[in-house]
Formats: sequence, C-alpha cells, structure tokens
Amino acid sequence: MLKVLGGFVAGLLVLGLTLWNAASHLMFTERESPFGLEETVARIQANIVAQKDKGWSLSGLRNPARAVNQAGGNVLPVMMVEACSPHYSKPILKDDTTRFLSILMPCKVTVYKKNDGKVYIGMMNAALVGKLFGATVGGVMAQVAQDQAKFVEFDPSKPAPPLIQGTEGGGSGSGGSGPGGGGGC
Amino acid sequence: MRTVESEIEGEFMAKRILITLTLWLAAGLALAAEQPPAPAAAPAAVAKKVSASTADHTKFKQLQQSFGSGPEVTKACLECHTEAAKQIHRTSHWTWEFMNPENKQRLGKRNIVNNFCTAVPSNYEFCTACHIGYNWKDETFDFTSESNVDCLVCHDTTGTYRKLPGLAGHPAYQEMEFPPHSGKKVKPVDLTKVAQNVGKTSRETCGACHFYGGGGDGVKHGDMDSSLKMPGRYLDVHMDAKGLNFSCGTCHMATSHQVPGSRYMPTAVDREGAHVRGKADKTNPATCVACHGNGPHEHEPLLDTHARKIACQTCHIPQYARGNVATKTLWDWSTAGQLSPDGKPIMRKDSAGRVVYDSKKGDFRFDSHAIPTYIWFNGKVNYTLLGTPIGATGVTRINQFEGGPDDGKSMIWPVKVFHGKQPYDAQTKSLVIPHTYGGEGDDTAYWSNFDWEKAIAAGMKSVNAPYSGKFGFVETEMSWPITHMVAPKQDALACDQCHSRSGRLKDIGGIYIPGRDHNRLIDLIGFALAGLTLIGVIGHGIGRYISNRKRA
Repeated sequence: MLKVLGGFVAGLLVLGLTLWNAASHLMFTERESPFGLEETVARIQANIVAQKDKGWSLSGLRNPARAVNQAGGNVLPVMMVEACSPHYSKPILKDDTTRFLSILMPCKVTVYKKNDGKVYIGMMNAALVGKLFGATVGGVMAQVAQDQAKFVEFDPSKPAPPLIQGTEGGGSGSGGSGPGGGGGC
Repeated sequence: MRTVESEIEGEFMAKRILITLTLWLAAGLALAAEQPPAPAAAPAAVAKKVSASTADHTKFKQLQQSFGSGPEVTKACLECHTEAAKQIHRTSHWTWEFMNPENKQRLGKRNIVNNFCTAVPSNYEFCTACHIGYNWKDETFDFTSESNVDCLVCHDTTGTYRKLPGLAGHPAYQEMEFPPHSGKKVKPVDLTKVAQNVGKTSRETCGACHFYGGGGDGVKHGDMDSSLKMPGRYLDVHMDAKGLNFSCGTCHMATSHQVPGSRYMPTAVDREGAHVRGKADKTNPATCVACHGNGPHEHEPLLDTHARKIACQTCHIPQYARGNVATKTLWDWSTAGQLSPDGKPIMRKDSAGRVVYDSKKGDFRFDSHAIPTYIWFNGKVNYTLLGTPIGATGVTRINQFEGGPDDGKSMIWPVKVFHGKQPYDAQTKSLVIPHTYGGEGDDTAYWSNFDWEKAIAAGMKSVNAPYSGKFGFVETEMSWPITHMVAPKQDALACDQCHSRSGRLKDIGGIYIPGRDHNRLIDLIGFALAGLTLIGVIGHGIGRYISNRKRA
C-alpha cells in the first residue's frame, strides 16, 4: 500500500514538474520575424486593421524600452502593438464574474530584438488562457486566438506598410488610445 | 440705521478679527524664529550664466561689421588669431589627406574610395560641405590660402551656421531653395552674429559633419549621430547632457588645432596607462585607458584580466545606433537609375519612413540598436585604393583591419561592417570614381543623367586614372571601429553574452572562452567525476537500505 501511495505521489511530482517547466511555453509563444523591427510592427498593424470586419482596431503602440532609457538604462527595443475588438471584449466585460479579465485587454502582440540581432514576435496563447476561465471566456478567446494567428501572417511580396504611430510610452502608466480609438476596450 | 443687535455683532466681529490677527502674528514670529534668514539675492537660478572666456567677441571692432562671405570673416579672425590658419593648414581636417607611416598608403578623404558616396574627386562642390574651408570646387583649390579656412564651422555657438552641399564649403549668403527643386527655402546666415558668438567646439559643431558622414544622419559610423547632441545617460555616460556632459574635445583634446584620434590608424591597444597632468604624454589622449588606466575595475580583478585581450568598447558598448537614429548597413549602387514611367527619379521608404531606395543612389538597408561584429584588431588598417587589384567575385574589403590572437598587439574590438555594391572597372579590376554630383548643365554627372558610362569616365578623368570603358558592380565591405555611445557600466555585456556557444564572440578564433569552447578530455573527466559521484551515492544508499533490512 505504501509503495502504491509513494508511486502515486512521485508520479504527481513528476507531472507537476513537467507542467511547471512547460507552462511558460504553453501560455506564451515566441517566433522569429523575417523583417526588421519597425516593418514587423507595421505589418502586424496592417493585418489588424485588415480585420476590421471582426471589430479589430489599433488601440496603441507602446515602447516600454523608452521608460528604461529615460531612467538611464539600456534595453534592446521592444514595441507592443495593442489591438481590441468589441465583438470579443463585450461578452467578457458584460458579465460581472468575468469583468476582472479586462486585465488581459487590450490584446497585445510584442515585437522585440534580442542579443542575436534578430527580431522576434511574442504573443499570449489566448485559446489556452481562455480555457482556464470557463466555457464563455474559452469560446471567445478561441476566436481571438484564430484572429491573432492572422495578425502575424505575413506576405513578403507586399511592400512594407508605413508604421502607424500610436501612443508610445509604457512605464509611466499613460496608455491612451492610438489610431482607431480604444475599440471598445 | 444701526441697531443694538448690529452694534453687538460689529463688536463681536472686531474682536474676532483682532484675535485672528494676533494669532497670525504670533505664528509668523514663531516661524520666523525657526527659519534661517532668506538669502539677500537668489543666485544662479536668475543670474545670467557667466562665460568662462576671457574675450567677449561682440566687443571686437573687427567683428562689428557686415560680412558678405565666410572668407571675409576669416580675415577678421586672423587679425587677432594670427597663427590659427597656419595651424589648420597642417591638419588632416584641412588637407583631407593622411599618409600612413607604416604601409605608406596615401589615405584621407581626397584619396580613398569608400562604399558610401564612393569618392570626393570630381564631386568637390558637394562633398566639401564638410571641409573646414571655402571654395574647394576642383583640383585647383588653393591649400595655402589662409582666408579659405572656415573658422565658423567649428566655433559657431549659435547653431545657425550651416554649410550646404553644392556650395563648395560655403553657407547660404542669400535665401535659396535647398535641396534644389524641393520648394524648401534656406535663410541666409547672419555672419556678423555668428562671428560675434564664437566659442569652443561642441558636440553640435563637430557633429555637423561627423554625425552626418555618408550623406545623412548616422549613416556612416553607427556610433555617432544627431542623438549625441543632447544625449541621455543611457546613450553615453560621458556625453550625458545632464551629467558629465563631455564635448567631443574633452577626449579629442586638440593642441594647435591638431585633433587626436584617427580612423586610418586607430589606437587599438593602449598599454601606457592614464595620462597625468604635467607629464609629457605622447600617446593618444582619446583612448579609454588615457583616463581610466589599465586596471579600471575596482574590486573586480577578473575583469581587469579580460581587459588585456578585450577592448573596453567590446563590453561597454553593447549595441550601437542606440539613440533612435538608425544607421545604414547596406548601400547597393547597382540598382540605382530606376525611374518612374514619366522618367522621373523615384524614392521608396520603409515602415519607419527611411528612404530605402533612391534613383540617384540605389538601395539602402538600415539597423538600429545594432549588435557589433567582433574582430581581432591591432590598429593596422590596409585600404583598397584606386588602382589596387580586386577580385571580380567575392567581397572586396575597402579597409582590412589587421590583427590576430597571437601577435601580442591585438585586442578584440567591436566594429560596424558596412556592406556595399559599387562600380568597378571590369577590365582593369579596380574600383572606380564615379562623377555623381554636377551643377546645372553638367551632362556627365550620374545624378543628372543616370548614365554610369559617362559618370565613371568623367570621374576617372578628373584624377587622370585609366578607365577601360567597361564597368560592373562588385560587393564591398568597410569596417568602422565602434567607440562612442558608451553605456552605463550596469549595461555592459554580461558574462553569458560571450561565455556561451552562440554568444557575441562565437566567431572569434584563437582564444579559449569557457562556456563557448569545449575540450573533450576536460568534458570527459568532468562527466566521469559526476557519474562516479552518482554511482557512489546510489551505491551508498543501496548499502544502507540492505544493512537496515538485515538489522530489522
């Protein structure tokens, strides 16, 4: 009996450790961009604006690295593209039991450079995060995840679009809304 | 009519006011007793900043006149500063020439061919906007003329003196359209005002040329651009406008107008230690070591041992072009000449609004927060000059940085490698000088006619160099040492940024870097020790378990 219980506990420990190790990779994704920093941001912005029929609009462009610079330090550039769609935010904001998930809004795609000189795109796995909060949120976030995937689908044959300068800041708490307003967020 | 009630109310009010005033007075006296007396006058905040100079140039009669041209101002300057022009004439800022004493190569802007705008000859009127002189229009320029020296470009403090490309080193003396046909107007410079407000050189005056090398802001160097006019601490700890606020001259301390520091013969290794006041130091005062010495890492002796093989810049300038001004990384002349359907030059911009194609110049590529390339460098640079044979295939190095791990004179340096594709003589296998800029009616300038044949023929003729008439485009590389934009020490490279297999120094040969390099024997011994330890622990555990069961 002791052996069975010990084995069960050991199994739980191994499972826990495996999940702990994999959680960060499951919750967030990172991929290399074939373009430079500004062009990656601009192409993501163009893809977001292209999904206007689903309510998506840009709600800001933040540069958290700037706040570090202003404080006298250096970090490689980071640009956060913020987008929102009232189609998806409304059902979550309407329900008192899920309103706290407004903390996940607006939807963010982050573009940054690393020490290898390459540009990367980071996103949250909206579908997986959504599943943690029940069927309603899970359903909404699954659709958000599908749209998010299109944000980072690039067509290299198209010329680089111009960067849409939204509200930059970060760190100081001033987010504000950029082109297209808050889009319901 | 006053009533008794109103009289009582009035008396009551008078008492209240009296009591209130008494309390205020008492409180005021108490506060006054606690506070120190106020200063007689507010000092620096309102007082005008006192100049450290011993001369007020507005008071000089020579400068109280209306000047028609730069040379007229120079003549006035030389009435007092009698030796200044003679000193200038001996500098490479004036001659644009540098004779490398080691390999005898004749270098300098007048002689080299680079992979940016390519070459000065035949394009003098344009390029000499960055010469500290006036009237350099062609090969007949008088280098002995004292009045041709431009004092103002280095000593202006008004920020209004600007030399325009195409005017042979002159500023605008009357309102003019610049760039030509752009519709933008440039106002004439007030020479009297500038002459009366001369002073020490500054980041702005040096930067007027050095920030814009290669034809635009931050284009050439990567570690120098307009963001250094008023940099924050994060960008450069020395030039931090709110901190140490170094000007260029703080390090590049000139004597008799000779500015130390050279990109043709850089000081790659400085073993002399810190310069001491009063001591005759003959080494370059612009190196890091000249101030910080050879053991600058207090309580960190391990870092000082690193400094024997690694230039300070390698760790302390983690990226260049960090000031939100991108630097150019590629210039492809071979694609120049594309025109719109109606035959007009075109421009294309990237997402950040930077021009990435210009009919006159071809394709460009940019990078910001760029990661340097690292090389062994001993300070010797060999140039591919006009007439130096080159290969038609592969990459031609415009400047070859020498050095290696075993010569005892090299350090690991960060450099910007600039990639180009530029015209060459397909028959003689030599770089060529294209005539790019021409005035009105010049049919041989590339920027006017988009005809490489004519442009190269004219450029080569201007220096009496042979040209076969057949040209092609060759890939080139040019390296630039990174030495400005020094980050705060907290932002220097961390250990794992080099001590890892894919770290910054992954391509540096001839040195064993723990974490990057592996020795099979050492690895085998390490793994064997770890394995034996594991076996020992398991064996010990099993022994304890068995002996325990037997006892039970």
